Amino acid sequence: MIPLTRRLVLAACAATLTAPAAAVAAPAIGQPAPVFRAVDADGRTRSLDEFKGKTVVLEWHNGGCPYVQKYYNAGAMQSLQRQATADGVVWLTLVSSGPGTQGHLTPAEAKSWKAANKAGSTALLLDPDGKVGKAYDARTTPHMYVVDKTGRLVYMGGIDDKPAADPASLKGAKNYVAAALADLKAGRAVATPVTRPYGCSVKYKG
Amino acid sequence: MIAGRVLNVLRTAAAAAAALVMAGPGAAQGFGQPKAPVFGEVDTGHLVADLVPEKASIAPGETIHVALRQRIDKGWHTYWRNPGDSGEATQIKWTLPAGWRADDIVWPAPDRQPTGPLMNYGYSGEVLLPVALTAPADATPGQTVELTAAVAFLVCEEICVPEDAVLGLRLPVAATPGGPHPQFGKTVAAALAAAPKPAPLTAVFAREGEALKLAVAGAPLAGADFADAYFFPFDGTAIDHAKPQAIERGPQGLTLTLTPGYGFQSPTPPAGLAGVLSLADGRAFEITAQAGALPAEAAGLGPPPARAPPAGGGGELGLIAAVGFALLGGLILNLMPCVFPVLAMKAAGLARHAHERREAQRQGLAFLAGVLATFLALAGLLIALKEAGAVAGWGFQLQSPPVVAALSLLMLAVALNLSGVFEVGTSLQGAGSGLASQRGMAGAFFTGALAVVVAAPCTAPFMAPALGWALTQSAASALVVFLGLGLGFALPFVLVAFVPGLLTRLPRPGPWMVGFRKLLAFPMYGAAAWLAWVLTVQAGDMALARLFAAAVALALAGWMAGVAQRRQAQGGRPVLAGSAAGMLAAGALAAAVWPGYQPASAAAAPASAADIPYEAYSPERLASVRAEGRAVFVNFTAAWCITCKVNERTALSTAEVADAFRRTGTVYLKADWTLKDEIIAAELARHGRAGVPLYLVYGRGSQDGVILPQILTGKTVVEALEAAAAG
Repeated sequence: MIPLTRRLVLAACAATLTAPAAAVAAPAIGQPAPVFRAVDADGRTRSLDEFKGKTVVLEWHNGGCPYVQKYYNAGAMQSLQRQATADGVVWLTLVSSGPGTQGHLTPAEAKSWKAANKAGSTALLLDPDGKVGKAYDARTTPHMYVVDKTGRLVYMGGIDDKPAADPASLKGAKNYVAAALADLKAGRAVATPVTRPYGCSVKYKG
Repeated sequence: MIAGRVLNVLRTAAAAAAALVMAGPGAAQGFGQPKAPVFGEVDTGHLVADLVPEKASIAPGETIHVALRQRIDKGWHTYWRNPGDSGEATQIKWTLPAGWRADDIVWPAPDRQPTGPLMNYGYSGEVLLPVALTAPADATPGQTVELTAAVAFLVCEEICVPEDAVLGLRLPVAATPGGPHPQFGKTVAAALAAAPKPAPLTAVFAREGEALKLAVAGAPLAGADFADAYFFPFDGTAIDHAKPQAIERGPQGLTLTLTPGYGFQSPTPPAGLAGVLSLADGRAFEITAQAGALPAEAAGLGPPPARAPPAGGGGELGLIAAVGFALLGGLILNLMPCVFPVLAMKAAGLARHAHERREAQRQGLAFLAGVLATFLALAGLLIALKEAGAVAGWGFQLQSPPVVAALSLLMLAVALNLSGVFEVGTSLQGAGSGLASQRGMAGAFFTGALAVVVAAPCTAPFMAPALGWALTQSAASALVVFLGLGLGFALPFVLVAFVPGLLTRLPRPGPWMVGFRKLLAFPMYGAAAWLAWVLTVQAGDMALARLFAAAVALALAGWMAGVAQRRQAQGGRPVLAGSAAGMLAAGALAAAVWPGYQPASAAAAPASAADIPYEAYSPERLASVRAEGRAVFVNFTAAWCITCKVNERTALSTAEVADAFRRTGTVYLKADWTLKDEIIAAELARHGRAGVPLYLVYGRGSQDGVILPQILTGKTVVEALEAAAAG
């Protein structure tokens, strides 16, 4: 009796949930970026709201993913982060790996990972239940988003145009995030606002 | 964490090594000499890779195929040309002698690999990625060329590992084209034959609100099975890979409702939609759709009947849970109105032997054997029918009017016997207690069998998920579930027979039993009358006349048999009366069964729940009503389904429900499964059910219907209708 009832209840819930889920849908270019709250490596709760008036980069991250390692082991991600933050951009690195999955970090682990990898991001945010990741429809690591000073989403997609784990592919790659930030800095519309994200799947909690 | 870091280091080292030997397109020359190739198999960590040729040799100017074969570890997979939401396609970089040419990979149609909220496209197990290889016209026969392929691929399970290898193949050049390679010829040819190909198909796409419709039509699709049809786009930004693709069939093709991907948010949205349309029959077509008006011949026939239930239906049950449900369902079957009369008969038998323990036990076991054998026989028949492609469901035996007629007569015969009109086996009386006991066991076995045949259509609420699950599983697990059902069904009687305390609590045998037995005849008369009614619904009132004539003849035969038995008991030899009775009974049964019945016309069917107007269900009608944006209530029912009838009387014909239908403007569709109907059976299967009742409510906007409980109350229905109307 219980499983049957439970299934019926679930079916009913699923039916009622589809509508709002569809209404929120995937984030769209030109629309306000989904607001979120998440705990950082220091255990503080951070929210997108506190960076109003600043350009924000969101980077989905999984330290075990070869595509992420391609950028970090070569120092390419760190230099991108430093360049951006020097220009007054807020860089948030998000980890949506569920507990027990690849890339999952506790606040303490996140702190030591940041130090060991000399990360240049403003904050490393932990999203173990995947709420933020799902709100942004983050699919891969890396998956990059740029939010402009008015809080609108202006870029989402891959980090560059070479979807490969091979470190050699860094050479000659067109970095879409750097391009989007350059466009914003120059007061232009982002020329390439949407690209295909590539990398490992985000290891959401089961 | 430490192990993870070590792994990461290893992976980084591997990636660095890959960089040295592999290098991305355009950068190959920058990394010095390539690694020496391996002529044979290479285990790259999570798969074994090698190069396998279609032919043992190649002639000058000839094009043959050489395939990269990946034998992937269980649980791991590699990716298609568009890997989906994550991942990376396998890459091959050839190093060939001057003048030789290798084309792009001929990608086999991929599998869908859902991971959490994401969708990937790729391969698992063994996959061959063929490449067309052309020898120059001036290749020298007699020479053996060495072909080198630096291959790189991402292999993923939960985590992803980039792996690579440098593979070599030695291929002799022959003067004339040779035959297939003795070892790999067939496999490579099969991979090429199965690969998606262009076909004379028209493909058109159109944005419709939030949706992206893709219509594909053409002669190759006429009459095809579109269940599970799927579009794999070449471009990773064209569609949202993880969203379901709703299928609408048409006479010459199909229309898929896709969710547009990132690409459509770009200032320059895709002008074309190219990819692979794969069908469940194994065919796959390469299509390139242009924006335009959707062709009419690719829509209009509603969604296809699905083979397997979707997730969320009965398909989620595991074997153990299904057997548990079945056991419980079997127990509950004992309480169903349609079995009760048969059990009454059994109870009479048990009461007779209540105080002869051994006899009661033997009978209990015989009853169990009868139940199990019949359940297995029914299940076996059902599975065989399904295997043979027929659409059958639980209770299917009552969909055939001759079977219903025969069962009705059988009930009547049992009732007459209980009433004392004639005896079964009286002629054998006095032939020794051994035989009498055997006779009792045969009777118990037969009672068990009869109980199952009659009980089957009373799909108890517990049984529905178990049976729905069983019928979509392998034959072996289906049989296990049916055995569980039988065990549950027979359990109460077996328990009574074997638990001494229970048996002695039954009243002592005595003259009261004669009266008790005669009383129990009446549920059996009732069962006969119910089956006669079912027959009327199935085959009209002429069938009823025929059945009644047969019933009267059978009753006469029973009376004659009784007369003969009494005469024999007085020492006579009533051969004539006895054989006349037998012939009359056989004739009555034959007349009820043959020739077959004409199905009752729709107009003749009784309009039950007449106060709520309903329409006959068809997938087309459902689709068109839903397209109008109206909420729909679908009632899957059958005349022989008692639960359905009870629901229709108690819940579906109340004033509040009728009022709720009117108020919400909900359309009431009735799918009558009294007679065999493939479309309805397929729709039931799609919701994980093997039997009726099934109640579905589709809201105005929602994609999927909500399944209501199998035992309805007016309140449930009203609430469901209001919810559906609201959203």
